[in-house]
Amino acid sequence: MTELRELARRLLSEGTVNAVLGWEEGPRGARPAFVTTPDGADRLIFDPRCVHDLASYLSPRRPHLKKLGKVAVVLKPCDARAVAGLIRETQIPRENVVLVGVRCGGVLADPESTAPLSETTVADRCRGCPDREAKLADHVVGTAGAGFPGPSRRAQKIEELAAMPVDRRWDFWQAELSKCVRCHACRQVCPLCFCERCMADKSLPRWIESSPHARGNIAWHITRAMHLAGRCVDCGECERVCPEGIPLGLITRKIAQVVSDRYDFRPSDDPAVPAPVGTYRMDDPQEFIL
Amino acid sequence: MARIGVFVCHCGENIGRTVDCAKVAELCGQVPGVVHSVDYKYMCSDPGQQMVKAAIAEKGLTGVVVAACSPHMHEKTFRRATAGGGLNPFLCEMANVREHCSWIHEDRDAATVKAVDITKTIVEKVKRNVPLSTIRIPVTRRALVIGGGIAGIQAALDIADGGREVILVEKDPSIGGHMSQLSETFPTLDCSQCILTPRMVEVYQHPRIKLYSYSEVESVEGYIGNFKVKIRRKARSIDEDKCNGCGACTKTCPNKKIPSEFDCGLGKRTAIYVPFPQAVPNLPTIDRAKCLLFMNRAKGRPDTCKKCAEACSKEAIDFDQVDRFVTEDVGAIVVATGYQLYTIGKDQAKPNIKGYGEYGYGTIPDVIDGLQFERLASASGPTSGKIQRPSDGKEPKRIVFLQCIGSRDPQKGMDYCSKICCMYVAKHTMLYHHKVHDGQATVFYMDIRAAGKGYDEFSRRAIEEEGARYIRGRVSKMWRDGDVIKIQGFDTLAGEPIEMDADMVVLATAMRPQPGIDSLAQKLSVSYDQHGFINEAHPKLRPVETNTAGVYVAGACQAPRDIPDAVAMASATASKVLGLFANEMLEREPTVARVDESSCAGCFHCERVCAYGAVEHKEIKDRAGNVLRVIAYVNPGVCQGCGTCQATCPSKSVELAGFTDEQIWSEIQALGV
Repeated sequence: MTELRELARRLLSEGTVNAVLGWEEGPRGARPAFVTTPDGADRLIFDPRCVHDLASYLSPRRPHLKKLGKVAVVLKPCDARAVAGLIRETQIPRENVVLVGVRCGGVLADPESTAPLSETTVADRCRGCPDREAKLADHVVGTAGAGFPGPSRRAQKIEELAAMPVDRRWDFWQAELSKCVRCHACRQVCPLCFCERCMADKSLPRWIESSPHARGNIAWHITRAMHLAGRCVDCGECERVCPEGIPLGLITRKIAQVVSDRYDFRPSDDPAVPAPVGTYRMDDPQEFIL
Repeated sequence: MARIGVFVCHCGENIGRTVDCAKVAELCGQVPGVVHSVDYKYMCSDPGQQMVKAAIAEKGLTGVVVAACSPHMHEKTFRRATAGGGLNPFLCEMANVREHCSWIHEDRDAATVKAVDITKTIVEKVKRNVPLSTIRIPVTRRALVIGGGIAGIQAALDIADGGREVILVEKDPSIGGHMSQLSETFPTLDCSQCILTPRMVEVYQHPRIKLYSYSEVESVEGYIGNFKVKIRRKARSIDEDKCNGCGACTKTCPNKKIPSEFDCGLGKRTAIYVPFPQAVPNLPTIDRAKCLLFMNRAKGRPDTCKKCAEACSKEAIDFDQVDRFVTEDVGAIVVATGYQLYTIGKDQAKPNIKGYGEYGYGTIPDVIDGLQFERLASASGPTSGKIQRPSDGKEPKRIVFLQCIGSRDPQKGMDYCSKICCMYVAKHTMLYHHKVHDGQATVFYMDIRAAGKGYDEFSRRAIEEEGARYIRGRVSKMWRDGDVIKIQGFDTLAGEPIEMDADMVVLATAMRPQPGIDSLAQKLSVSYDQHGFINEAHPKLRPVETNTAGVYVAGACQAPRDIPDAVAMASATASKVLGLFANEMLEREPTVARVDESSCAGCFHCERVCAYGAVEHKEIKDRAGNVLRVIAYVNPGVCQGCGTCQATCPSKSVELAGFTDEQIWSEIQALGV
């Protein structure tokens, strides 16, 4: 923690950056913090309650952050993959941001919890996560626990769903997705949903019905999943912020699995690694071409 | 308010047999916005077109729907008629009720309902059509020809004679290709070099042809009329301006035992070499993999042998030359990279191609291929035209030719016919008969394919007048016994197994595209088939065009071709290129993609998926010149209107003119689903 605060203080006092994005103590657990003065660096914390993916703030569509000029952002390894995605898709120039990696051994499922990090309290997505620190980062601070072994419960659920007959799987998803109220919190929090105007908001023509109706809901979630194919970094934010508790991670992980199996691609925190969309390889599977 | 005219065509009985055209016209007439709806026997006939023109004037139409055949057939016809009637041609659309309806259905009532649905979707689309105008782009009136074989030579000469500049790129030290290796040519038995070398010299002397020999295409950018080609001029280790081609260097080179590529390994060459006496350009090249000096340098040892440099009176040898790059602007590209012969060895470059275990995988020394036989029979060849066995130099008295080696054999990975083998085997038996009077030529064949002017007469002559023995059947096994080759096969006409001894065997191996054709095709964005042959745009109607505008194909890189075919194709490409160059500006269809600048997020997925390199980066600046955003821009001159970017764009910020989301959406809505 001291290491993180000292680094933030130095970056701010030397004028390397105008703001540091990190976490601070809030009334309901850890919360994102914008530190703009060297003195403010003491507010910064990092512990297993810091679940939020701060890379979401780097989207150029967030003008309040753009006004701050050059910033530093504190990243867990999963968040760094999101930053790599933003760089890869030309949303932010690498030189415009200082990346502070924090070593991470997993975060809590519930950021408001005060329980210590354990096999029972860890976020499911952290089970089996091999990354302890972000390779993309300019600075890496802190120490990390050993992490938690996989497989995640989610992976087991995906297998369970895959084994279901199609109509039962359809029933499961209809029931889950009919709960959606179309608040689009999943989109707003996603670090890689950075479009200037989401196609779900396009009205001429309106491809996706906007009212919370099963048909539009399914169209929306399928579209979102497809747009994140090969791009989702598994920061878990969409599922965390969903007010209806829809297991969105099941969709994004299933797609990630398909992309990984078929195209041998896993999201990396190296922006030079190409994304599967738009990458052609001579040995790409193409048996679907008649 | 839209005023749409619907014109339903019977296409004789083609549509009328299965679809009640009068009813389609009647029901479509009830669609809101349709003010005129008629049917007619042949809409594409002159009276039919007149109906369209007249209705535009009389009814004040704002859009035209022709329910007839595929737009591939008559869209142009009706767009011209629409323009003739005074409307923008892009306000006319085809509803395909033939290929998509009448031809594929039998139930008349159901087909009529479907024809109405199809026509209604297009009516809804046309309501949202906007006038478009053709795009005009400038043309660089110079051509690039890749490959200096007979096809490339012919294409270059025809284009240059037509008054346009040509860049000819050849990867080998000399132009001439495989034709320069042949002894005689079928069906006239005239000397190959005698008819080819004047063309080679003509290329070299032509004021409008720039020849880059020993060079390869490194990269290609741009689009029809405006290509930028980077060419790698491989280091020849010779200063081309100083060398006078005296040949003193090649005489002094101590490394004289290198198998000659030109003689298919049957002759020898030196490390600094001119591939053959009539080479164009007549410049030596140092083979750095075989030159003692470069072999020493590779091992970090000092330069020892400089005999060639010492012998050169012009100081033209440059051991320190490196590969150079030149960039040329051209408007059209002709691909004429030719073929290589399949070899029967165990190790094949492609996993789907298999060798011949039953023939010892090419380990029997007196089993040669057709090109090697050409070199043996050639007066300029390693044996000065004497037929001799590679193993001991003896004259073979029993020679056996095997046709269809690899060709027409799906198990070996090549299911196509190589086209030339029947003819050249017949030629080989004649050449053999002329040179070895007491010899016996035997041919194993599957069937004789001699379609061509004078071809059947030629193969009959080999059998009837020149004593060749033709056996219909295949050879199942071949092995060496002392200095004799034992052959085991089956005569399928006699229906009995056959065994014989041979002194030499010649395999008519399959024609395959040149190695590296796939990477060249990818540089040019042209497609190729599973064998690597370049695909033509249409097998019948566009045989020398590729699916990339401005790139044409000639000769054996498209499919197995003989010399007359390759030359005819080359002249056809030249005619296409000269046609393209006839105007300073080029007209293009306006169905191109356009980016919505307000909603583009600049993720550039479109750039990654664009097969034509049409997507550029565009900066949006404020009045002070600060860059606010970088977004995608589609260059209309490059865009081919394929729509891949439109499908890929996550925020739906790309629209294809003539196929906008709104148009497609309204088509779907018209179906009432």
